[in-house]
Amino acid sequence: MNTSNNKILVIVPAFNECGNIGRTVEEIRKIAKNVDVLVIDDGSLDATAKEASSAGGMVVSLPFNLGIGAAVQTGFQYAQRYQYDIAVQIDGDGQHDAAFIDKILEPILCQEADMVVGSRFLAKTGGFQSSFSRRMGINFFVHLINALTGVKINDPTSGFRAYNKKMIVLFSEYYPHDFPEPEAIVVTQQAGGRIVEVPVVMRKREAGSSSIRYFKTLYYMVKVTLAILLHMIRHKENKP
Amino acid sequence: MNIHVVSVVVSVAIFIFVIELVRRRRLTFKYAITWLLISAGAIFFAVFYRLIFACAALLGFELPSNFIFFTLFCVFITLSLLLTVFLCQQNNRNDVMAQKIALLEFELKELKKKLKVE
Repeated sequence: MNTSNNKILVIVPAFNECGNIGRTVEEIRKIAKNVDVLVIDDGSLDATAKEASSAGGMVVSLPFNLGIGAAVQTGFQYAQRYQYDIAVQIDGDGQHDAAFIDKILEPILCQEADMVVGSRFLAKTGGFQSSFSRRMGINFFVHLINALTGVKINDPTSGFRAYNKKMIVLFSEYYPHDFPEPEAIVVTQQAGGRIVEVPVVMRKREAGSSSIRYFKTLYYMVKVTLAILLHMIRHKENKP
Repeated sequence: MNIHVVSVVVSVAIFIFVIELVRRRRLTFKYAITWLLISAGAIFFAVFYRLIFACAALLGFELPSNFIFFTLFCVFITLSLLLTVFLCQQNNRNDVMAQKIALLEFELKELKKKLKVE
């Protein structure tokens, strides 16, 4: 794919991902040659930053844990500061296969989308499909977002995404903080951004544990639902 | 000692305590002013306690004590809501600062690397 005219930044948020992050960075660098890899070390207590750095990634270390949203936003801020045209977001836990970076870049390079979401459920692609209870939760967000915005995104919690410059500018100013993925879709849609989903295959994480654990799933759902509803009634002035 | 004297003494003590905190620079004026107003109000009503009875009767409270508790409750809820707003603002600023520091630190590191090479 011809990406030579575009400066592309791959943002990898990572919190205590020692054992995963090195592999993730190496894989991205091996597969996507003409991109810069920026790892946002979100106040990790282990050797995440060191591992990412020796794997050849650029590492920005937050002084303490700010949460995934603020970490990703730091990546957008970097992208804006150094005038990147496109940002790709990939989880640091190895769940996302870098081989699909080309796929999720495509709609942006063709200027068909402002934001692209890599989706596990769009096509029968196989791979890791998440547990039943979590799929129920994801399904709930599919319908909630659809009801509120009229957009149907099949995998709204996926953190495998690509953004064009318009979204980089928007999100470096305002990006939802706590559990940002579903809410970011609503923010994008309300700002008039075009969202396209492309099918990807995800893997099970290789080491450590996900930031959203079993017993937290319900809490997560309630919290994100409230956050999305509150976002809908936000003062328009504050909106980018 | 009757309840009248106790309430005057307590409210005056709180008032003096707030002033002392400002004097020792543990409280800035911005945050002290609410507490000063509240404790001044407390002194006022402790001295003219008959006003409380009148207010309570006027608003239909059966007991003046109910009126006092209700009023205090409202005051503290408002106060804690304002404090939460303030906390939120501080939290946001903290996040923004952490992000800026992280990016600056990164740039500094890169610059140092570049200098070493040259």
